[in-house]
Amino acid sequence: MVALDAGYPLGDRDAQARVAMIALSVALVLTAGLSLSHGASGVSLGSVIQSLATGEQMAARDRLILWEIRLPRMLTGVLVGASLAVAGAVMQGLFRNPLADPGLVGVGAGAGLGAVVAIVLGGLAPVWVTQAVGYHLVPVAAFLGGWVSTLLLYRVATRSGRTSVATMLLAGIALGALAGAATGVLVYIADDRQLRDLTFWGLGSLGGASWPKLLAAGPVMALALVAAPFLARGLNGLALGEAAAHHIGLPVQRVKAVAILTVAAATGAAVAVSGGIGFIGIVVPHLLRLATGPDHRFLLINAGLAGAVLLLLADLITRSIIAPAELPIGIVTATLGAPVFLWILLRRRGMVDL
Amino acid sequence: MRRARFMTVGGVHAGLTALILVLAVSTARAEEGPRRVIAAGGSAAEIVFALEQGDRLIARDTTSSFPEAVLALPDIGYVRRLSPENLIAMEPDLILAEHDAGPPETIELLTRAEVPLVTLPEAQTPADVLAKIRVTAESLGVRQAGEDLAARTQADLDRAAAAAAALPSHPRVMFVLSMQGGRIMAAGTDTSAAAMIALAGGVNAVDGISGYKLLTDEAIIAAAPDVILAMDRGGDLALEVADLVAHPALALTPAGEAAQVVRMDGLYLLGFGPRTGEAALELNTALQAVIAAGRG
Amino acid sequence: MLSAKDIRVSLGKTLVLHGITAEAQPGEVTVIVGPNGSGKTTLLRALTGDVPFAGQVHLNGQDCARLRPWELAALRGVLPQASVLAFPFTVAEVVRLGLTAAPHAGRPDLVPRALAAVDMAGLSTRLYQELSGGQQARVQLARVLVQVWEPVVDGVPRWLFLDEPVASLDIAHQLGVVRQMRDFARRGGGVVAVLHDLNLTAMAADRVWLMDQGRLTGQGGVAGVLTDAALERAYGCPLRVGRLPPQGGWFSLPQAAGAA
Repeated sequence: MVALDAGYPLGDRDAQARVAMIALSVALVLTAGLSLSHGASGVSLGSVIQSLATGEQMAARDRLILWEIRLPRMLTGVLVGASLAVAGAVMQGLFRNPLADPGLVGVGAGAGLGAVVAIVLGGLAPVWVTQAVGYHLVPVAAFLGGWVSTLLLYRVATRSGRTSVATMLLAGIALGALAGAATGVLVYIADDRQLRDLTFWGLGSLGGASWPKLLAAGPVMALALVAAPFLARGLNGLALGEAAAHHIGLPVQRVKAVAILTVAAATGAAVAVSGGIGFIGIVVPHLLRLATGPDHRFLLINAGLAGAVLLLLADLITRSIIAPAELPIGIVTATLGAPVFLWILLRRRGMVDL
Repeated sequence: MRRARFMTVGGVHAGLTALILVLAVSTARAEEGPRRVIAAGGSAAEIVFALEQGDRLIARDTTSSFPEAVLALPDIGYVRRLSPENLIAMEPDLILAEHDAGPPETIELLTRAEVPLVTLPEAQTPADVLAKIRVTAESLGVRQAGEDLAARTQADLDRAAAAAAALPSHPRVMFVLSMQGGRIMAAGTDTSAAAMIALAGGVNAVDGISGYKLLTDEAIIAAAPDVILAMDRGGDLALEVADLVAHPALALTPAGEAAQVVRMDGLYLLGFGPRTGEAALELNTALQAVIAAGRG
Repeated sequence: MLSAKDIRVSLGKTLVLHGITAEAQPGEVTVIVGPNGSGKTTLLRALTGDVPFAGQVHLNGQDCARLRPWELAALRGVLPQASVLAFPFTVAEVVRLGLTAAPHAGRPDLVPRALAAVDMAGLSTRLYQELSGGQQARVQLARVLVQVWEPVVDGVPRWLFLDEPVASLDIAHQLGVVRQMRDFARRGGGVVAVLHDLNLTAMAADRVWLMDQGRLTGQGGVAGVLTDAALERAYGCPLRVGRLPPQGGWFSLPQAAGAA
């Protein structure tokens, strides 16, 4: 954030980005520790380390809180935060537009529709489905919804091996409207309780984090996060436009295909485990671009780190602000993020116009 | 609905398991019973208070609003979005959970943390209400008080049933959940409102659809209710009698023409707690007045 | 050698290039001239594979359609007519993108040298979007130059394809670009450029392709192709080569720059 006020002309932004990477890594370690040690019950990280050091057994209850509640929740927060921010950065690079968001290409709409279908019509699912996925029906449906809509859009926008980014954007808007209508129908037939479930799902939460969920969705997010940095060169080149990117030697079609799959995987899995958490995908990359420049070699990694830090901090707030109840995390990210974003837009109007 | 039933089977199963656990624990503790109880669900808190065990409650969920004293307790949030750590941290020795309390991950963790948790049966009929009271009383270790309350509730229900049977005619009742932007959301079949209307001796005017649905003006006129039933609550969703009878479609129904509107507290009316019989009687009395007015 | 064989391009149902066959040699600057809408840019975009076309393009004897993007990038740099850039990159960062797939990708020292070649040294940390149109054009040229920095590698010539490289430049920088083109050819590379200005064409070109209504109506040396008759036919305007204005008056030809 210090780099935000960097003097003009801009100095060596690579060095700034490397400093930011280190700072964000440290911040991630700290917030992860805070996330593990902070909670309504008195279990602290210190007591864990002490028990590990002295070999003294922790109380069963404390062990449960730490290993079964806080640890999966922290890891889910890290993966979801990183996935949302990285998916946003990749999407923006692909569309060459700082306002692009996974929600735009129908991943969000598709995942949302999947979740709504599962919440409202889940009871009609065949028994074998219910037995196979258990109460993970909603996340599984959200993930499938996100993927199906992405693949559909990709098919629509790809002709003779070329994917038209503009067509995909327009088709995404159309599909979003369609999903909205389908959601409307389902909302109409939903009962009171299902309506409340829908509302809460849309606001997002890490509250349902558990090992089984994490083990199912975590690898998908992790894979997307590992794949993303390999897109850096390609996305940098795409900033020049597709033709120029081709002429500097990039396999443009492959970059686009991998980028779309990465976004679908990261967003689909993140939305599936945590519901709708807005703002991170658009604001984190934007802040980082202002701070250390748009070079994707650093942007993608830093966005992942910053997204994770931000989501962990937001989660700490959701857990404590109205304890013993919990605030949906989407409310926290939006209330904290939107004003900061507006403030930066006002302050840096010149740079945002780019 | 079907999903709900599926979950109920699971819930009851979990409830029984927990119940056995609780019974084991409570026997060990002699007659004492749990002292730190969390009510997760509006009717749970209501039953605990009706059993005169309100001082055992240490927290309640957002849907718990009766009696007044409940509101002073810490709020653990929406009953289907409970936070496991926050619940464990309160060190309850019993959580009384409505059948749909969740999310399932939280319930599972609570079970694993060996927090005694009793899932109450879903109540849509008078028999369910009695079962709910008995399960609650049992888990609090006040079986006799439970039997007494169940007997009183049964008596109320019997009186309500008698009164319902004694009605000279059965007025058509439309339950209006909300009226936003002039659109009426009313209760169809398979709703607690429909069940309550039946208990009171009325006929649900909206019988073609299930659940709470928005009605077209024509459907409202076709339903031809003799009386409008609404919840008595404040805020944006408040339904004023004047607004209801001024609604263009409702105004054309017998209820609108005669300005027959009955308003009752939501939890009282639809909560299916120990006051169900009382609420049915009260509604029955209101229906009698409607019939009387119709004759006069 | 660049050889184009029977290049046809249609936009919708209209055929805009009617079978162009032409050759360009390394060590030479080849300039495509012609009136607006004659198909100059379309031809260049067909040569670089930016528009779908029928026919064949061979570069140094290899079929361009069969080369992978990075193989092509190692062989030629392409400067499009208009360049867009998303996100606030600095000048140096834009030029560095030219090194993405170049065999000499590990030579960031080339970035300041390429910037100096287009008279942009000292502006390397400025944001691209804050530059004037002409400055932006020069940055894009530097990006292309850095990609094919050595005109000949292992005896194989490399190529520059430039579409209107002087379009938004002042006269001094126009002459600078001509100098870069000449220099690249002198050192053994091949240059193919679209130019509007006939005087600059005369200065820069070893070989001229004259386009008229989607056909190549002449190729060869400047004096042989750009004759009074050919120009009048192509441009529909009685141009006279080598004549001073009959009424005298003011004129300043780029060819005379630096003359005593």
